Amino acid sequence: MDWAHLLDLLAATIRIATPLAFAAMGGILSERAGVFAVGLEGMMLSGACGAAVGAVLLGPAAGILGAALCGGAMGAVIATVTVRHGADNMVTGIAANILAIGLTNFLVRVLLGHGASPRIHIDLLGPVRIPLLADLPGLGPLLFDQPWLTYMAALVPLPLTLFLSRSRWGLTLRAAGENPLAVFAVGGDPLAIRFRAVVACGAVAGIGGAVLVLGQVGTFTDNMTAGRGYLALAAIIVGRWTPWPTIAACLLFAAADALTLRVQVFSLPVSSYVVQMLPYALALAVLVGLGHSARLPAAAGTTFRRGGG
Amino acid sequence: MTDATQTPRARLALLRPGSWRPLAGLGLAFAIAAALIAIAGANPLTAFGAALSGAFGSPGQVATALTKATPYLLCSTGVALCFRAGVINIGGEGQIALGGLAATAAALAWPIADPFAATAAALAAGALGGLAWAALAAVLHLTRRVHEVLITLLMNFIALLMVGETLREGLGEVGAGFPQSPLLPRAVWLTRLMPPTSLNVGVFIALAVALLAALLLWRTTFGFAIRATGASRRAAAYAGFSVPGVVFGVMCLGGATAGLAGAVQVMGVQYRLIEGYSTGFGFISVAIALLGGLDPLLLIPASVFFGFLETGMAAMQRQVGVPSALVGVIEGLVMLTVLAGTASGARQARV
Repeated sequence: MDWAHLLDLLAATIRIATPLAFAAMGGILSERAGVFAVGLEGMMLSGACGAAVGAVLLGPAAGILGAALCGGAMGAVIATVTVRHGADNMVTGIAANILAIGLTNFLVRVLLGHGASPRIHIDLLGPVRIPLLADLPGLGPLLFDQPWLTYMAALVPLPLTLFLSRSRWGLTLRAAGENPLAVFAVGGDPLAIRFRAVVACGAVAGIGGAVLVLGQVGTFTDNMTAGRGYLALAAIIVGRWTPWPTIAACLLFAAADALTLRVQVFSLPVSSYVVQMLPYALALAVLVGLGHSARLPAAAGTTFRRGGG
Repeated sequence: MTDATQTPRARLALLRPGSWRPLAGLGLAFAIAAALIAIAGANPLTAFGAALSGAFGSPGQVATALTKATPYLLCSTGVALCFRAGVINIGGEGQIALGGLAATAAALAWPIADPFAATAAALAAGALGGLAWAALAAVLHLTRRVHEVLITLLMNFIALLMVGETLREGLGEVGAGFPQSPLLPRAVWLTRLMPPTSLNVGVFIALAVALLAALLLWRTTFGFAIRATGASRRAAAYAGFSVPGVVFGVMCLGGATAGLAGAVQVMGVQYRLIEGYSTGFGFISVAIALLGGLDPLLLIPASVFFGFLETGMAAMQRQVGVPSALVGVIEGLVMLTVLAGTASGARQARV
């Protein structure tokens, strides 16, 4: 194990963490508002599809916009079923993920490939060099010569934290996830808040999908998110529903993922399968170890009905 | 005006037997699929015609569809029992995978000469493998009071990776170039009903399990306890049922049927354990459980329908050029529409 290998691992970690971070930040919005974000995978995949279609037809900016729109649309579907109709969050999320795999696979073939698997080539977003910082010896070029989406992923937790903890909207959003009755009592509409939160979650997670297409792979392949949405879900648990610790969890999971391809380089005593288990085992350990003190939003997964009974 | 926060799972558990809602959801899903086919530039009628002839065109096609339906029926039976008790067990993916692993390990480690005993032992091992994984989830859920969905979901990934790890280490076939086990001994191969298709006696096992589950659910005290727990945990406890006991029991049953599904797939279709052999089975089974209205008997047509849907759509792609990915669209839409419909409509439900 030498310096070059370590830098390579770090670069891969940042690359893998970027889409995870977007998805996890979106997921925090949804879960803090009281809706489990099991559909993150589907939202990301829809975003990736939107990014590919937008970028091929209209260019990279349209790709980002398309990703947010498609992710948000999948969020709206999930919100309609869970929030409006009060269906089980988890099963709805699974359903949305199945739908997203089928629908993106179908649409990409129909819109870009005349029915067959299309050959898509999208030019990757180039790195943006930050002067001075990028000239720092060692880590400088690694950290400050990245595509702008990566910088954005690193900065999103700041506004998100401020929004959740300091703004009136953020407070109402959290209240909708902890005690929707209280929101209703002061004249708010917990359902509308949750609906918007899930749509916003979809848009942000969709951008996570766009990172994959526009920043890393340069094409769309079937089911290309390959479980990253579920990984983001686990990161939210490990980060206990707060932005900065969740980002840390994303980085940790990304490092584990980066290690799976480099088990031999670092001569680890375990196989890549065991390394891949780490994120899920860690999330399970947090849930089980902390039990009720894991700080899951109190009303997450429940529904709310006006004038019900 | 009264306000209430409720758990959606209670309303899912109250799905009435014989409800028309799943069929309405199916209709809506097919209407959207037809629109998508039109967008793809094909005539929906021609495409559905190709799918129908592809699904039912020859006895071989029918056998293929029934083979696909077999693990779905087994796994969705367990899912339905769990959902009826208000336990959202979505650990089918992992429980199937471990069931297949356990059956393979048992068949390879302790070969039994007598075919009947060998088959029974391997099937039992498969069921036990799924059961053990689900029981672990149930214990974590009950003792630490953590949401069972999060636990079963996370445990899926661990189970799938465990299968990969065992195929890499102990169980894997040397020099196969792909993570798979050696061929199982002939004694545990499930009898094929219609060679050269893979249809095997597993389909009867699945039918028997569904019938037994229906008896259990509608005709026994434990079945009543399941339904009471699903309707209201507080009421079930007040009626003297042990709610943790019911939750644990129903999770174990769900794990056992999922494990059996894995064993049947391994012993009846592939004759060996292959990494990723059951990808998606667990989630599709949730869709089937919802389409079948959580009624074990109705799961039989629902899972057969999904089997035909998959073979039919493959034929549609070959003949009309409409991507067969439409299967996923229909599956997802059926789930979403049934979920939305039952949640709004379960108000008049009874146990």
